[in-house]
Amino acid sequence: MKRFLYTVLALVMVVTVAMPVLAQAPVPPNEAPLDVYKWDYPESFGNVKIAVIGDAGHNLKPYEFWKEDFAKVGITIELIEVPFSEVYEKEMAEFAMGSGAFDVVTFYPAYIGDFAGNGFLEPLDEYMAKEPASVWDPKAEDVLPPFWELYCKFGGKVYALPIDGDVLLLQYRKDLFENPDEMAAFKAKYGRDLVPPETWEDYLQVAEFFTRKKGDKLGGETLDHNFYGAAFYGMRGFSVFWFLNRFASAGGMYFDENMNATINTPEAVKGLQNMIDEMKVAPPDVLAYGYEELKDAFLKGYVAMVMQWSDVPKKSNDPQLSNIVGKVGVALVPGWKHADGTVVHRAMMPVGRVLAVAKDSANKEAAYWVAKHISYDRSLDDVATMLTGLDPYRYSHFAHPEAYKMFADVKTAEIYLKGVEANMAVGFPEIFIPGSAAYTDALDLHVQKALAGEETPEQALAAAAKEWDAITDKLGREQQVKLWQQALESYKALGLVK
Amino acid sequence: MSTKTLTQAVPAKAKRKHTAVGLRVGRWTPTWFVLPAVILLFLITIVPFLIELGLSLHSYELTSMKGAEFIWLKNYADVLLGDARFWNALRVTAIVIVAAVGLEMFFGVGLALLLNRLRGSRSLITSLLLIPVMIAPVVSGMMWDMIYDDKFGPLNYLIEMFSFGKFEGTAWLAQTSTALPSVIVVDIWQWTPFIILIALAGLQSIPTELYEAGEVDGAGPWQALWYITLPMLAPVMVVGFLIRFMDAFKLFDIVYLLTRGGPGSATETISFYTYVRGFKQFSLGYTAALAFLQLIVIIFVSKVFIGYLQRQRGGEA
Repeated sequence: MKRFLYTVLALVMVVTVAMPVLAQAPVPPNEAPLDVYKWDYPESFGNVKIAVIGDAGHNLKPYEFWKEDFAKVGITIELIEVPFSEVYEKEMAEFAMGSGAFDVVTFYPAYIGDFAGNGFLEPLDEYMAKEPASVWDPKAEDVLPPFWELYCKFGGKVYALPIDGDVLLLQYRKDLFENPDEMAAFKAKYGRDLVPPETWEDYLQVAEFFTRKKGDKLGGETLDHNFYGAAFYGMRGFSVFWFLNRFASAGGMYFDENMNATINTPEAVKGLQNMIDEMKVAPPDVLAYGYEELKDAFLKGYVAMVMQWSDVPKKSNDPQLSNIVGKVGVALVPGWKHADGTVVHRAMMPVGRVLAVAKDSANKEAAYWVAKHISYDRSLDDVATMLTGLDPYRYSHFAHPEAYKMFADVKTAEIYLKGVEANMAVGFPEIFIPGSAAYTDALDLHVQKALAGEETPEQALAAAAKEWDAITDKLGREQQVKLWQQALESYKALGLVK
Repeated sequence: MSTKTLTQAVPAKAKRKHTAVGLRVGRWTPTWFVLPAVILLFLITIVPFLIELGLSLHSYELTSMKGAEFIWLKNYADVLLGDARFWNALRVTAIVIVAAVGLEMFFGVGLALLLNRLRGSRSLITSLLLIPVMIAPVVSGMMWDMIYDDKFGPLNYLIEMFSFGKFEGTAWLAQTSTALPSVIVVDIWQWTPFIILIALAGLQSIPTELYEAGEVDGAGPWQALWYITLPMLAPVMVVGFLIRFMDAFKLFDIVYLLTRGGPGSATETISFYTYVRGFKQFSLGYTAALAFLQLIVIIFVSKVFIGYLQRQRGGEA
């Protein structure tokens, strides 16, 4: 009997381990790849292995989708997956050690200053100019200027190619906003129409309206769980960007021209207070929300509005992930009304992804072609599917709504793409100079402390400003000022800073 | 026969012995055999230690495009005199050590005492109790992350069920009042079995004659526990405490998986803060100074307890 039980246990363990192996590899997202771009294969690189490092999960799927493309030119891809929030430290540590562990580096473009500035990346200008263009040219003119200028360049040279154009959007339950009962109740209570909020004050008001207890009515149905008006990325690491939406739309800028921190203005304090107030209408565990938790809270039907990355509306159409298929609307991230009566909107562009070639790669040409193939040749398939979290970043991505088959129809896809474009038009960049991770971490900690009630907004932002000045001094103020002034010029040239 | 007699009996000439297979074994032979291991240990322990010590005396920001700059003890002064985040992290770590290790000792010894009384089923129950300590900390962190989930986690579900809907549970990891206790609970769950194991081994090494003698003198069960069991167990438990103290001082994985040091800085332990400084900011000199200060604390506390053990052994002699 004992032997039988052990045998059964062993078989169960074998099957459990074998199942992922037996599972089918991802197939390309479309039966036939979209024939939008004209490109050619290069001559074979021989039999080379290209190691690609990137954040684990859906954003590395393109390398599985297009495995055969790479095989045709003698390239075998080896994927090195790292956790989403550890990309910087993993890659920086490998670069610092000169390990040569990877050829193609996927990173969040805020780190381009740290990586390119320290000589860890290969400049790509020469590769881009090689002939024939159908093999080597990544069509930079097709990339939206903010992504090309900020994500891909440092010191006037190109070091990376974009693969993911991130911007935060306001996403909301359009079924609730269009429900006649809810609209009437909102009008009766607040004396105005129920529409996606224009300002941050409106945002809190609408969120408060939709916050209901289990057993209350919502959209004509009785709730079997508590429902909340809003939610945000509350976990340490990236919560700072949800504050920066408010900071930027108040006219804030990270530093002045002499690199003194200006993160603690009265407008910044007002913005942080608004975010603290949002916690009253958010799920009680919102400070534990990372990307997955925030996405699930919205897609599983617990929250009426979120600010999230632009891949979430695509995923909302997957019935395996979403309980609200066809019920998601997108709108501009709220703004602040300024003295002249205009409402200024600003949408943060946090994260994003680019591909670069490591300086100590032994197969630079092959590595560049891998990056170019993902960034251009197959890019529409990759951003137009809900199998990845990659988002549009080329004009051509917005010009083909028919490619976004997860939406009910082309019109709905167009609405989504227009929403993304509208937010990109008011996009606000992260800090892109060396020390970006340190500045972000310092501000994130104090935003967190304010959210947790450990500091007041004034104390939090004053402490953050003080730490920022200390970081600037440690990194070398003269050098940082020069780099910041260059960055400020490019923000102004792109219209990101008025 | 004494060692001195044996030595005198051996002729002075015969410094080389022969082994059973006829090999010559000189005075330095054991040294040559041990030397490769010593060199390896030196290279992977002492050399990095010295490099790290040197680094702690420099300002070295890896992202700054400038090299290291010698600044004497400025990093240490900055940490001790100007870094509120360091002191907060030390405070959080002290709470974890006192609460987690203290409760692990209490529950561990208590459960070991109960297990020691079992006869037939002791090994089965002990094996089951040891499961948490066999699970990798990463796995246990992910598991408890699911358990603590506010909406979908079984903990809140069970609370609601057993209270007949009166209580809904809470957001365990998202409130400053419950986040650190939640981390501590995970540590207790995972490492109490380790203390059980040590205590059980200690209990089984206590001579039964002591209990018999106590019984003869009229000692009851509680008196036997207080005057025989606990004093005899103390040296073993000091070793267990020391091991757990050093582990708890380095607590990182559970914090990283559950809270990332948040909310705010409520669960930011000294290890996590060192990680942030080292791998988010790549402030290498400062991080080295942080690491050395932690080493000093661990050495100091260890010396206190090792001193106690030595006094105990000296008292027995």
